This record gives sequence, structure tokens and C-alpha cells, in this order.
Amino acid sequence: MNFLSPQGQRRLQKFKSLKRGYYSFVLMISLILLSLVAELFVNNRPLVVQYNDQIYFPTYGDILPGTIFGYDYQWETNYKKLESDFVKSQNGNWMIMPIVPFSPFENNFIEGEYPPYPPSISSKHYLGTDMAGRDILARLIYGFRIAILFSLLLLTVTYVIGVSLGAVMGYLGGTFDLVFQRIIEILSNVPILYIIMIVASIITPNFWTLALLLAAFSWMGLTWYMRTETYRENTREYVLAARAIGASNTRIMFKHILPNSVSILVTFFPFSVVSGITALTSLDYLGFGLPSPTPSWGELLQQGTSNLEYQWIAASAVAALSIVLTLVTFIGEAIREAFDPKKYSYYE
Amino acid sequence: MFKPNILIALFFWLLSTSAAHAESLPSDLIWITNNDAPIWADLSAEKGGVFSSYMLAFPPTLRSVGPDSNNSFRSYINANQLGLTSFHPDSMEIIPQIATSWAYGKDRKTVFYKLNPNARWSDGESVTADDFLFTLDFMRSTHIQAPWYNNHYSTQITSVKKYDDHSISITGAVARPKDELHYYYGLAPTPKHFYKKLDTDFIKKHNWKIVPNTGPYQIGKINKGKQIEFIRKDNWWAKDNRYNLGRFNVNKVIIKVIRDPNIAYKHFEKGNLDSFTLVQPEFWHNKAKGKLFDNGYIEKFVFYNDKPRSSSGFFLNQDNEILKDKHIRVALAHALNFDRVIKTVLRGDYERLQTFHTGYGEYSNDSLKARNFDLDTANKILDSNGWETRGGDGIRIKGRQRLSLNLVYGSKEHNDRWSILKQDAIKAGIELNLKLQDSSSHYKTIMQKQHQITSLGWSTGFRPAFWQHFHSDNAHKPQTNNITNTDDKTMDDLIIQYRNEINKDKRIKLSKELASIIHESAAFIPDFNVPYTRGAHWRWLKLPEVPGSKTTGNLYSPFGDGGLFWIDNKQKIETKTARKSSTKYPVVNKVFDQYKVNS
Repeated sequence: MNFLSPQGQRRLQKFKSLKRGYYSFVLMISLILLSLVAELFVNNRPLVVQYNDQIYFPTYGDILPGTIFGYDYQWETNYKKLESDFVKSQNGNWMIMPIVPFSPFENNFIEGEYPPYPPSISSKHYLGTDMAGRDILARLIYGFRIAILFSLLLLTVTYVIGVSLGAVMGYLGGTFDLVFQRIIEILSNVPILYIIMIVASIITPNFWTLALLLAAFSWMGLTWYMRTETYRENTREYVLAARAIGASNTRIMFKHILPNSVSILVTFFPFSVVSGITALTSLDYLGFGLPSPTPSWGELLQQGTSNLEYQWIAASAVAALSIVLTLVTFIGEAIREAFDPKKYSYYE
Repeated sequence: MFKPNILIALFFWLLSTSAAHAESLPSDLIWITNNDAPIWADLSAEKGGVFSSYMLAFPPTLRSVGPDSNNSFRSYINANQLGLTSFHPDSMEIIPQIATSWAYGKDRKTVFYKLNPNARWSDGESVTADDFLFTLDFMRSTHIQAPWYNNHYSTQITSVKKYDDHSISITGAVARPKDELHYYYGLAPTPKHFYKKLDTDFIKKHNWKIVPNTGPYQIGKINKGKQIEFIRKDNWWAKDNRYNLGRFNVNKVIIKVIRDPNIAYKHFEKGNLDSFTLVQPEFWHNKAKGKLFDNGYIEKFVFYNDKPRSSSGFFLNQDNEILKDKHIRVALAHALNFDRVIKTVLRGDYERLQTFHTGYGEYSNDSLKARNFDLDTANKILDSNGWETRGGDGIRIKGRQRLSLNLVYGSKEHNDRWSILKQDAIKAGIELNLKLQDSSSHYKTIMQKQHQITSLGWSTGFRPAFWQHFHSDNAHKPQTNNITNTDDKTMDDLIIQYRNEINKDKRIKLSKELASIIHESAAFIPDFNVPYTRGAHWRWLKLPEVPGSKTTGNLYSPFGDGGLFWIDNKQKIETKTARKSSTKYPVVNKVFDQYKVNS
């Protein structure tokens, strides 16, 4: 922990001591990390297949066509069929399937019954299926991964733009500040969701276009805080000192002022994550988000609310959303408290 | 500079009017009135009340011609613009509308009409022969920016003659069977006194103008983006005509914009909408049940009909780099597992549509069967046509091109259907990207011919229509209905022959031949056919004993050949109180299969 300043170390300690926030943080990070390797837990491809003395790891990489396992088709092997064939033939071939043996895209139909199917341990649809017979748990987990990555991407872009512009505005002041204030005021009054809906109705957006589009209209919030912060820090002695020894503007801004304004950025961090997830979810809910059949919470929520008679759909989506949002709120709370200047401020 | 023009115009005007007056009706005509065909409405229907329905999007314009006018709302407008004659919905015989009688010319191209002298526009002006003459000027004008109409009214209808204020004749380009003369050459009048002179600003000027009409209802209050009201005319000139008796009963028809059918259904359950068409299986099986139905507040109807079926399916743009290869199109048709969609999410309620023109009686080529899902065939075709390599993800590649195709569609209710197709198409090495668009942008994309594949259902006609969908005149340009960009010389010839043929048998033969070519080219992949209409309505909405006719597509259609239902206001109040006290009525769940087609 040597890379942290003494102040930072104290803040970290304080954060760790706030158990609820800290454990939420640990849980959240583990969820994110696990979701990055979701293919190992939730997949219709097995983890390991041993077939005729050869071992295959189909999880990542190219598809293994049916011909590899003695079928006569060129497309991806139907592993569920392969598994039952292994059991039948008893010739020492085996495979290990993930805990949830479904991909978020595959439609599973039970002969003689119409989807959605309710949660059931025996069918391995632990949370049931949606209206098209896709496993809800699989779609929740992959949907979470997409939402969180989307949110982080959005956050990175908005922070880079917001922070640098805000800092420059606060640091330079004068006309530059004045002009950008007005630009930001105008931009902030643009109804983002509507803009995205209009654009989405013309082009079908993908992950990147949607993130950039959202970013283009949501970097403004942070600039205000960064600007005021910079204004304040700008008059501190250490900045004057840096200027006196001839440090460049960039250096002052990014080496001196920015690290001292970090508390603001960090406090906002969890809430930005939340707003990213909510934005994507609401867009998907309205049908203007990522194209079908991308797994998405919003889309599940939409299915659930339009088919309230199948409670497990809406219930799963709402529960997942509430859990994640609550975790983030706990984290946010703890961070805010850890950075609270009333307890730990160091003015010389 | 303008003077000579005016003079010339004046001269021609004088010439044309004097010429028209010069002629009189041939004396040897046999006039037909047909005032004795059976009535299909219930004469005991009560007048009054309000009927509320919904549409998914607010119309982009109220014009019925020109850019963006071919939207679903246009059918409401057109249904209130009466034609000269109309078709009896059961027997398909000709029945009078604005014309009181008609007669056929010897050339087999001309129909003479005597107009009802009582016919009035909604603004009180009388409907005269000049309004029919004006229709031709109007539809031929380039200012209306409607190439299809421009063409139709120039090449198909050659002249409209006026004999006196209430007698006209219409001559078409080619001789046709008698009933078809009415269908193809029949006109609706256009209010000359309203439009006066057409100009370059027509499109903009008339976007939101309410045009005088001749039908039972006229647009009343418009709440832009929210709802449009139609008000029944108090003293409609045709209200006592035989075929209008017992119809058009409600005083006001409100069409609300509800952008999501699920939300609309909730409005229906609350009683804000009087009826709900429940053709979609998800709705019929999953939603239309529960207390409201068990207590008899809402009644369910299934009505089998026998009518031309919507040409519904996937349209492949042949101007596209990949899809211009016929082999790919055929392979794609074999790689789409529509049967699985029918058996799963559609709950076996729909049938597979087999051809582009189904349900047109003898004119349909019923020997044709849609290409079935057959991965072996699909894979074989692709393997032998340069697409034998598969990428790591199983999608075929040729050089640097992936066999990845975009499917644009306009209804999110179809997400599940197409995602099932996507799963199976991957097995043939075809990637299907689902591109959902808002319904009006979807329509725009198609009209601009910017799609690769689109899912769409065309509305139906009287006889199979080929020219608009398959003639090369309409290919490679925006705003036409040839959305497959079919451009085939042999087809062009056959289409023109079909258009000009008067002999019924030959015409049927040509129609079947064209159907085979359409099938052969595989630019259209048929999807589903629904042999019935079904829906539910609150018990205060009353329908006749037989709730529709053979060709009824919508039991709750307020206009056109519908308007059969009525609202029982007493029962409405009664039902609303009964709901509070949970009083029960008998459950109504009726099936009408007198018009069912046995396939």
C-alpha cells in the first residue's frame, strides 16, 4: 500500500472498516470478475470433452463442428445430444458440462409444452425460461456482464472528457470557461433518452455506438464539480509553489490539482456505474437498446412486465437489478464516508 | 410570360367542356342496379355510443397519396371515401355506392355510371361528374409525388367522360372481365372544389389537411401524436341506402395512439378500449384469460374467413451484393425454420404460407409449396457455390466476405420468432442479424430499398397483383413496392400480358406461371398464414348473429364493409357496476367456422 499517500491510506482503512460497504465492494468485484469468465459456468459448450482418447476444451475459441465427434454435420456440435450419446454408448467417452448448461441464445423447447417454462431443478432451468424458451439465469448473467462492461466503458469516456474539460475550465477560467459553461448548459438540456430513441429508430445501435452516443450527452455532469474543485485548488499554496518553480499548466493540472480532487471523482464513481446500468436497461426495456437477441436485463424486464402472469420472469429481472443497485449504493455510501472531509481533511 | 399559358389553358378548358357536353350516353345500354343482394348487417343494431380503438403510431401524414402516405391509418381515411360501386363481402357481386346504376360498354373496357344526385361531400357540396374527372387530373399530377398512382391512372385508366352532372363513363386501357372492370377502373371522386389547383407545395400543404369525404364518418378532433377522432355524420346522404342499413352505428370512433400492444391490452382490460384483436398466439393464449373472461365481462370470438391472404414473409433485396446470387436465396429459404417457430412460440396456431398469392381462388397456384427447412440442401447449395469455407464461428466466408445478413423488421413482438430462425440459420453457416426498427422507420428503410432482408406483410387485393411488386419499372428506385428489386425481362413480359389479358382462363394460367417464377427466384420467402381472425370484446359491444362476412378480416372494423357492431350503452353501465360487485355473466367463447377453408 506504499503507493498511497498517508491520507489515502487512512481513507482506505476507513473504507475497510465500514463492513457493509466493504463486503458489498468485495462481492461486486467478484461478481464482475466471475461474469468475465461466465462461459465457464453458464454455457451450452462443455468444459472438457474426452472423445476417443483425445481431450477437447470447447469453451473458448472456435466452434467444434459435429464432424469431430462423429456426426455428419458441419455446424456446432449439439453437446446435449453428444452427452446422452456418450451415456448410451458406454465407451469411455465423457464430458463435464457447466453448472448451467445453457447459452443465453439457445431456445430450449420441451416437447408438447409451450414456453415460458417455470423454474425447475430437474430441467436445470434454475430460474425458468423466458417467452422464447431461453434460460433466464444464463441471460441474467450474460446480461450483467454486458451491462457492467457497458457502464464501465461509458464511465471511462465520460470521466476522461468530463474531468479534463472541467479541469481546464476551472484552471484557465475567463472566456474559455464562459463559452464552455454555455455549451454545457445547452447540452445538458438535451433530453438524452429521446435523442437515443430517435437515433436507435433509424439505425439499429450496437454496443459501441450506444455507449458513445450516451457518452456524448452525459459527460457534462462531472465538469461542474471538476471545475469548482479546480478553481478552489488553483488558489492553494502548493499550486502557487508549483507555478513559481515553473511547472507547465498540464503538469499543474494533472500532477497537482487532479490528485487532490480525486475524492470527488471517487465518490461519484459508484453512482455513475449505476446510471450506466440503468440507462442501458431502460433503453433495452423500451426496445431501443442493443438488438435482439442480445441478453439484457431490460429486455427481460420488458418480457416480464408484458407477461406478468409468468412471475418468475419479472421477479428474476427485478431481483437481479435490485441486488446490483443496492450493492453499488452500499459501496457508494462507504466511499463517501471514507472520503468525508469533515473527519479527514488536512488543511495546513 | 404567363398570359399565353392562361389563354391556352382556357382554350383547352372550353374545348374539353364543350366536347363533354357534345356527347350523350349511348342509348343501347343495359343499366344494372343490384338492389336486392342480401344484407350482411343486423337491422336491429342500435345507433349511438363511442367506440375506442388504437393504432401503434401516429400517422406521419393525413394525405392519402404521396410520400409516407402508405401507412396503416390511410385505410381509415380511404374507407370513408366511397367509390362508385363496391363488392358484396360474401358473394363478391357488385353493389352500388355513389353510383346508383351502371352499364357496360361494348368495347369491354368501359363502364357507364349514373351517380346518386343526393351524394354530398362532408362540407355539403354535391358530388358531381367533375369530381371524378378531377380524380384523373389529381392522380396523374406529378405534384402529388406518387409514381405508382401517376402510372396507374395514366396507363390503366385512359379516360373519364362526363355526359351530364351525374353521368360518367370510365374507360380502361385493356378489356377485362366485368367485375374486374369495377375493381381496376373504379374511381373514388376527389373534391375539386377543395383542392382547386395542384401545385409544387401540395405535399407540404396537405400533410394535415382534412379532405372532404363521402363516407359515413369524417375526422373530427385531432390530438397530434395522441389520438384521432372520427365523427359520424348526422345526416349522411347514404345512410338509408340498402347496404348501409344497420351499419356504422357508433357516433364516434376514437383511435388512440398506444405504441405497445401490451399496454394497449391493459387499456382493453380496463375498459378503455372496447375490443381487441387477438390473432397473435401470445395474446390469445397467455393474456386473454382470467376473471374478466370467466365472469363473462369480455367475450371471445374466433371467426374463420376465406379471403386472399396477406403476402407475408421475408423479402430479399436482389440489389444486395450477397443476395443477388439466386443460390444464396434458395439456400437461405431452406435454412429458415419457420415450422419450428409455428410449433413453439406460435403454439401451432398459424400455418405456413405457401405462395405469394394465397387465397385468390383459381388465381392462386396451390401446387407450389414454400421451401421447407432442410439444412442438407441449404449446406449443399452453399458448399457448391463458393461458400464452402466456414469461419471459426461457423459462419461461412468467401474471400473477405462473411455470409452475414441483416433482417430488418418493425415489431418487437417478432423478436422471439426471428431469434429462433437465427439459431437454426447458423447451422447452415448463415448469420442473421436482427435489426428491429420503429415501425415508421422500418417502412422508410424498405421504401428506400436499404434493407437486405425484411419481414413484411402486404395487404391483399382483388386479384393477384404483380406489376407493383415484380415489374422492373419499379425496381432499383425508392418509394415503390418492388422491394425485392426484381428485374427480369421474362417476368416483365408476362406481367404485361397478365395485365392486358381479358380471357379469364388465360389470365389464370398467366397468374400461375408468374407464381412459379416468383417461387423459383426465391426473392420472397413466405412465412405465416392465419386462416381466421379472432378477438375479444367487452359484452356491451354487440355483433350480429353471424359477426362477419366471408371476407371479414377484422370483426371490429368500424368502417369499410364493416361497421356491423354497435354499443349497448345500458349494458356498458350495467357491466361496470357488475364488475364492482363481481356479478357473473355466462362465459362467451364462440367459434364461427361456416367460411372455414379445408386445406
